[in-house]
Amino acid sequence: MIATTHDAARIEARQANVAPDVSLVRIYVLRAAYLLLVIGLGGMIVPDLVIHPAISRGVIPSLLGAVWVLAFVGLKYPLEMLPLLMFEFAWKSIWMVAYGLPQWSAGQLPPTFAEDCFNIGLGVILMPLVIPWGYVYRHYVKRSGAPWR
Amino acid sequence: MTSIAAFARAHMSGGGDGDIARWRLHVLRAIALFFAVAGLLSYPKMLIHAGATDRGMIKAFLTGLWLMSVFALRYPVKMLPLFLFEFAWKTVWLLAFGLPQWFTGVGSPLLRQDLPQIGLPPILLAIIIPWGYVWRHYFQQPSERWR
Repeated sequence: MIATTHDAARIEARQANVAPDVSLVRIYVLRAAYLLLVIGLGGMIVPDLVIHPAISRGVIPSLLGAVWVLAFVGLKYPLEMLPLLMFEFAWKSIWMVAYGLPQWSAGQLPPTFAEDCFNIGLGVILMPLVIPWGYVYRHYVKRSGAPWR
Repeated sequence: MTSIAAFARAHMSGGGDGDIARWRLHVLRAIALFFAVAGLLSYPKMLIHAGATDRGMIKAFLTGLWLMSVFALRYPVKMLPLFLFEFAWKTVWLLAFGLPQWFTGVGSPLLRQDLPQIGLPPILLAIIIPWGYVWRHYFQQPSERWR
């Protein structure tokens, strides 16, 4: 009975707290972003994870592989997994500001530049459009933090 | 119905962390604090002196994790996806690269350095992450709206 009440309470809480926060359209836009990661990123990364030279370091495919795995969870819970998209936006913006743009303006490009610049640039443009910033502000900035003691 | 909503709000306040042991919150925060401080000391300097032809992806990833760790310090529960990400990428590395290379004896030149640095944290994270909460919250709970 308690479990049932608790489950009902969770659903109710979702309806009471989350539903008015973000529009259904936005939820679908978020799901589309996760789907893009699942399909687009998966298509690039999974083959690298399975077949690669015996001496490759593998840090980059592993990092991207983890984004791919968590994107599946985002399809079901687009708002709960927002930290993943916030992280995507953060690291891609950092790359663009610290590496991409300076290298482009200096004309000194690493061999992977064209591919990286396209894939990362897409994220830098798409993520700010996809992320519900009002929700992020309310839930990750304004809202009281988890208890400290 | 209203009372159920009130009950729910009371239980879900502060990020719905009522069912996570306090010690876990403290350890998650300690990890986030470690990231935040260690990152502050190294990443800004590293980015300012970015190599002219460095690919830069690993450094951008690590700096992104550092920024997110600041959020995790205040919201360790809502930022659990960040800890899951840390656990996931290091586990993926261990399974796809670290362990096979260690067993075959043929690996990247940095394997000896990477094995403890990337291979050990997932063991610590596996102990710290509240898996029951993760299961209930990210798998079992009804999905967010479809219509």
